[in-house]
Amino acid sequence: MSDIMLSLRKATKLYAGVPAINGVDFDLRRGEIHALVGENGAGKSTLTKVMAGVVTLTSGAMTVDGVDVAPRTPLEARNLGIAMVFQENSLVPTMTVAQNLFLGQEQFYNRLRGIYIAAQQFLQSLNFDVTPTATVSGLGAAKKQMVEIARAVLHRAKVIIFDEPTASLTPEEKKYFFDLVRDLKKRGVSIVFISHALEEALLLADRITVLRDGKHVVTDDAAKFDRAAIVQAMVGRDLSNTLYGARKSNVRPAGARVLTVQNLKMAPMVKNNSLSVFAGQITGVFGLVGAGRTETFKIVSGVLKRDFFHGGEILLHDKPVRYRVPAPAVKAGIAYVTEDRKVEGFFETSSIARNIYLGLLSKFPKGRMMLSRRETETVGKRWIKKLGVRAIGDHGKVVELSGGNQQKVVIAKSLVQEPDLIIFDEPTRGVDVGAIVEIHELINQLADEGKAVVVISSYLPEIMALSDRILVSRQGKVVEEFSAQDATEERIMYAAIH
Amino acid sequence: MKRFRFNQQEIVFAVFALLFLVFSIFLRGFLTADNMLTLLQNVAVLGILGLAMAIVVIGRGIDISLIAALAVPPGLVLQMVQNGHSLPASLLAAVLLTIAFGLINGWLIAYAEVPSLFATLATGLLLAGLGQTALFQLDVVQWSPGMDGFERLGQGTILGIPTSIVMFALACIAVSFLLRQTRWGAYIYAIGDNPYAARVTGIPSRPIIVLQYVVAALIGCFAGLVMAASVNSMPTRIFNSTLIYDVILVVVLGGIGLSGGRGGVLNVVIGTLVIGTMLNGMTIMDISYAGQNLIKGVVLLLAVITDSFLNPRNEETAQQGDI
Repeated sequence: MSDIMLSLRKATKLYAGVPAINGVDFDLRRGEIHALVGENGAGKSTLTKVMAGVVTLTSGAMTVDGVDVAPRTPLEARNLGIAMVFQENSLVPTMTVAQNLFLGQEQFYNRLRGIYIAAQQFLQSLNFDVTPTATVSGLGAAKKQMVEIARAVLHRAKVIIFDEPTASLTPEEKKYFFDLVRDLKKRGVSIVFISHALEEALLLADRITVLRDGKHVVTDDAAKFDRAAIVQAMVGRDLSNTLYGARKSNVRPAGARVLTVQNLKMAPMVKNNSLSVFAGQITGVFGLVGAGRTETFKIVSGVLKRDFFHGGEILLHDKPVRYRVPAPAVKAGIAYVTEDRKVEGFFETSSIARNIYLGLLSKFPKGRMMLSRRETETVGKRWIKKLGVRAIGDHGKVVELSGGNQQKVVIAKSLVQEPDLIIFDEPTRGVDVGAIVEIHELINQLADEGKAVVVISSYLPEIMALSDRILVSRQGKVVEEFSAQDATEERIMYAAIH
Repeated sequence: MKRFRFNQQEIVFAVFALLFLVFSIFLRGFLTADNMLTLLQNVAVLGILGLAMAIVVIGRGIDISLIAALAVPPGLVLQMVQNGHSLPASLLAAVLLTIAFGLINGWLIAYAEVPSLFATLATGLLLAGLGQTALFQLDVVQWSPGMDGFERLGQGTILGIPTSIVMFALACIAVSFLLRQTRWGAYIYAIGDNPYAARVTGIPSRPIIVLQYVVAALIGCFAGLVMAASVNSMPTRIFNSTLIYDVILVVVLGGIGLSGGRGGVLNVVIGTLVIGTMLNGMTIMDISYAGQNLIKGVVLLLAVITDSFLNPRNEETAQQGDI
C-alpha cells in the first residue's frame, strides 16, 4: 500500500474561462491532518470541492489509493471513501439525528426504533454526546458538526474534508473538535481542512499547503512554519505589520453622543442590551458569533423585521426612534453596511454606477423623480475613484468584481447617503488583503471627518487596529467596555467568553 | 477567453422572423394585408396586458388577476352606462374600482407578505365572482347608446394605423417611460434584482410593490376598455379563458426573466409579435382550440425552462463567486 492516500496532478478548474485553480499538485498522506490555507479566492474551496466530487476538473488527474478516478458527484466521491463536511448545510433540519445519519441507507421497511438504537451505539462508539432522537434544527453548531462527522465515519470515509470547521464554534467546542480530529486520525482517516485561523492550522495540522491565486505555493510540515511564514506565503509579500497595523497610537476623543441604546430586547438574541456611540470616533463591537451584535444594530437601523422587536429604547441624537423598516433610518442618517453582501448588499444585474445612484436616490428622492444619466455617471465616477474600486469600467456589473471591490461598492452605496452614523458589520469578511487595508483607511477617514462609526467584527486584530473604544458583547448584551489604551487581546477575549 | 453568446432578445427575434417567413411561404392567406391587420389587432390587447405583467414580473412578482382587471372594471362601465349613468361617471367608478383592486393586491403582497402567485390567484377569482354576482346582469355586457363615440378607442384608424395598435404603442411609451426614466422604475428594477438589498439601501420597497400592482391593474383595465371598444361589448366570461397563459407566455418568451430585475418594454413587443404570429398561423391552419392549447403549453414550458437556465435564481448565481 502506498503512503499516498489521494493525489491531484496539474489540477485545473476553469469557471467561465477563468482559472479557480491552475495546475495544482496536491498529495494527501494516509492518516495525516493536512491544512489548506490561502486568501479568499486562492482556490481552497475549489480544490476541496474537486476532491469531494462537487465540481469536476477541467484538466488534470486525480488518484485515490493509486487508482485514477474522476468523481462527478458527491455520491461517487463518497463511494470512493471521500466525505466533505460543509458548514452545517447538508443536514435535513426537520429530521432527527439518527434519521440524518442513515439518510439514503434506509431499508424498505424503515423501523425508527431500529435506527435509534443503531445510531445510539454508533455515536457512543465515537464518544459523541448527541441524542439520536433530537431534531437537528434544535442543535447547536458544534453538535451539528458532530453529526456530520459521525455520518462521514459511518460511511467508512477514508478521507474527510472540512471547510472552515471552526468558524461557528466557541473556544471550548473548538478544543473538543480538535480532539475529535486527532481521534479520527488515530483511526487512520486522512483529514483535509480549510482554515482562516492560522493558529489552528499550526496547532492541528501535520502538514500545511498554501495556495495563492489558484496556484500551489508551498507544502511542508507544520513544524517548519510559523505565522509570519504562512502569511508571507499567502500574500507573497510581508504584510503582517501593515495589515492590522499594530496598536493605535492616537485615540480619538468622543464627540457628541449620537446613539443610545437602552435595555433593548429581542428574544432570544438580544437581552437588555445598552450601549452608546459617539461622533468622531470608531466604536468597535467585539463578540463571538451569536453574541447578538448584528441583531442589535439591525434593530437600530430598521433592517430587522419589527415583529421581533420586544422592548427597550433607542435614542438617536437624544430623540427616541423606532424604525420598522430601513428607509426612515436611512433618511435619519443611519447607514448599515451588511455583513452578507451577496444576500443584501448590492444589485447584481445593475452597473456599479447604478448601484451607487440607487443609494443616492433613496436618501435624497426630492427633485429626482426623473432619472438622470449624467448624475448617475458623475456620482459613479466620483465614488469609484474615491474608494479605488478596480473595475473594467463604470458599466461593469458588481457581480463580476472581486470580494473587496464588491464591498467597496456596497460601502459607496451607503456613503453617498451622507450618513452621520455608519455601522460596518464585518467590513472585511471575504475581502482580499489589499482591499482590507484600503477599507480600514476609509473607515479611519470617516471617523476623522467626525462621523460616528461602529465596526462589528469577530476578528480581534481588526477590532484592535480600528477601535477608539471597544465594546465586548456576550450572550445578547454588551458586558464590558475598554478604551483603546487599556485593551489587550487577552482582556477582550476573556470578557467575550466568560 | 470570451464565448460567443446570443442574447435572449436576439434569439426570440430570430424565432419570430423564422416563424414569419415559414408561415409566409407555406400558409396561404397569411401574408395578406387583411390578415396582417387582423394579426396586429388581435395581439394589441394581449400586448397591453403583457406590459402590465412585465412591470410586476420585473419587480419579482406575478399578477394572475390581470384578466379580472381586464374584464370587470370595463364591464362595469358598460353596465353602468346601460343602467343610465353618464359615461364619465362610469369611467370614474371603474378606475376607482381598479385602483382599489390594485391596492388590495399590493397590500396583500407587500405588507401581509402573501406570495404574489397565490394572492393574485385569489383576488382575481374574487373580483371576477364579484362582477358576475353583483355587477353584471348578463355574461356579455352589451354596448348601449350612451357609449357611442367610445368605440373609437378600439375601432377605426388613426393616421391609417388601426386604433388598437396605436393604443398598444401609447401604452408601450408610457410603461417604457415609467420603467426607464423615473425613480420609481429604477426602484422596481432594484427590488426585482435584490429585494433584501433594496430594503437595506432604504428604498421604500413596500409602497413600490403596491404601486406595481396598482399600475398593472390600471393597464389591465385600459386593455379591457380597448377590447370592449373594438368588439362593442364586454364578454366577462373571458376570465375563464386561457388568456392569462398567453400573457405569461408573452412575458417569458420575450425574455423578461421570472427571477426579476431584467427585461423591458422591447421584450414585451418581441414576445407579443411571436405569440401573435403563432396564434394567427395556428388559426389559419385551422388547429382546434384544444390543439392550440397543447402547443401553447409546450412552448410555455420550453420558455420557462430556458428562462431558468438563462436567468437562474440568486442562490445559484451567488455560488459563482465562491471559489
